[in-house]
Amino acid sequence: MSRSSLGLLAGAGGGLLVLFLGLPILALLARAAAGGLLPEAAGGAAVLDALALSLGTTLASLVLAVALGTPLAFVLARRRPRGSALLEALVDLPIVLPPAVAGLALLLVIGRRGWIGGPLEALGISIPFTTVAVVLAQTFVAAPFFVRAARTGFAGVDRDLEDAARVDGANEAGVFRHVTLPLAAPALAAGLVMTWARALGEFGATIMFAGNFAGRTQTLPLVVYGEFQAGSLDAAVAAAAILVLAALGVLVAVRGFGWRRALDVRSI
Amino acid sequence: MRRSLWLPVAAALALVVPAACGGAAASRAAVELTVFGAASLRDGLAAAGDAYRADNPGVSMTFSFDASSALRTQIDQGAPADVLASADTANPQALVDGELAVGPVVPFARNALTIVVPSGNPAGIRDPRDLARPGVRLVGAGEAVPISRYVDTCVEKLAGLPGYPAGYGSGVAANVVSREDNVRAALAKVELGEADAAFVYVTDAAASDAVEEVAIPAAANVEAVYGAVAISGSRHPAEAAAFVAWLAGPRGAAVLATFGFPGPAGG
Repeated sequence: MSRSSLGLLAGAGGGLLVLFLGLPILALLARAAAGGLLPEAAGGAAVLDALALSLGTTLASLVLAVALGTPLAFVLARRRPRGSALLEALVDLPIVLPPAVAGLALLLVIGRRGWIGGPLEALGISIPFTTVAVVLAQTFVAAPFFVRAARTGFAGVDRDLEDAARVDGANEAGVFRHVTLPLAAPALAAGLVMTWARALGEFGATIMFAGNFAGRTQTLPLVVYGEFQAGSLDAAVAAAAILVLAALGVLVAVRGFGWRRALDVRSI
Repeated sequence: MRRSLWLPVAAALALVVPAACGGAAASRAAVELTVFGAASLRDGLAAAGDAYRADNPGVSMTFSFDASSALRTQIDQGAPADVLASADTANPQALVDGELAVGPVVPFARNALTIVVPSGNPAGIRDPRDLARPGVRLVGAGEAVPISRYVDTCVEKLAGLPGYPAGYGSGVAANVVSREDNVRAALAKVELGEADAAFVYVTDAAASDAVEEVAIPAAANVEAVYGAVAISGSRHPAEAAAFVAWLAGPRGAAVLATFGFPGPAGG
């Protein structure tokens, strides 16, 4: 086979994949746009409630991921304590784990009869089926994306620059704030965006651990599923279109701000 | 260069082509019926399928269980079902009205409601009245799922009984913490102890050894009528209709009766 015909074959295969990946998204958006379906269905109570809930809970998950993930990422990137590799694998696990498995595991720990949930229940605190459970489920599956990106970001900061700042009299907090953080910022920002996108799309762990109740635990992906199950295809499409637009926005932002390097898996 | 590219392709073809031919040959030899069944039929319908296969050696069956409303949506969207065995008659009737199924809807089983609580009854539910007590965590199925329609009627009837407080219905509604996919998913949340109680069918309660029952007064209970139809797009319309008739007949009723189903209305 000649080089040009091989190229043609590769091009045809690649084109097929692009169509395969692009057409379903196009069909979804076209269906949502057709006849003003989107504004009408998106204005429905189920979709609006879910949108508000999704925005609120993903923000909370993001705060948790950053607050708890930044120190962990820094330690993993710099101190390399004994067992780092194992720790990294553990933190990465939710990325490859089926979300339903995450939901089941969360139930076994924080459920009403779980290791932590049982004693909490005795104190009158019950987590499953609450908005808190939604935030926990989202944080479980999404926080690893932030830790991963932040780890890469911190590892990529030139230590000589930090040392130079120290020589100039900066204390450790000053070095972190004025040197390390700005240099790692693109990676942190990319991690933030990917974490948010993953939290927004969370479905399996949420429906298993937090249940499905409008206004309390029914996030946008649960609306897509629930409305489809109930035969309301229009509302399902509207919620799905919102999620697609949000995801597209995230990817455009990541590319537009030049954060791509931080997402490069090879550097991890 | 060429060999390294084509060898794996040829090997893959060598594997795939006979498998595809084999599959086609197998489907000629035996009729394979795909039966969509209400979640509450999970055990009963699978056993009925085994009994039917024993009577009809040329037929094999695969099952898909979910809420009847979800199965109807799937069939609306072109899922390749031959039979829908629903927990109501409304969902199969809607398929008949939409010319997606062959009418009339055949009633083949009945069921009744009960309340389940986790073993040990941690929330202390003694009576349906307790379901409206603030803080009790109820799970139900989605609002379009047949059992939710039956439960609505049942709660309305309960609210009218002597001894039930004003606002009983809204009290129960306020205690629902999750709308699960189907009745078996709601049952599972009670089995796990995550929920304090759920309305299920008596057959669901009988299928679980991790729950206790709280009886519903007979005056408030609701009769569920299960209906089956053969799907219009079926590649085996005669066999599908034959299975529906068998299911509604004495053999089908006998199998379902072992799972606690009382048999078709009036039969």
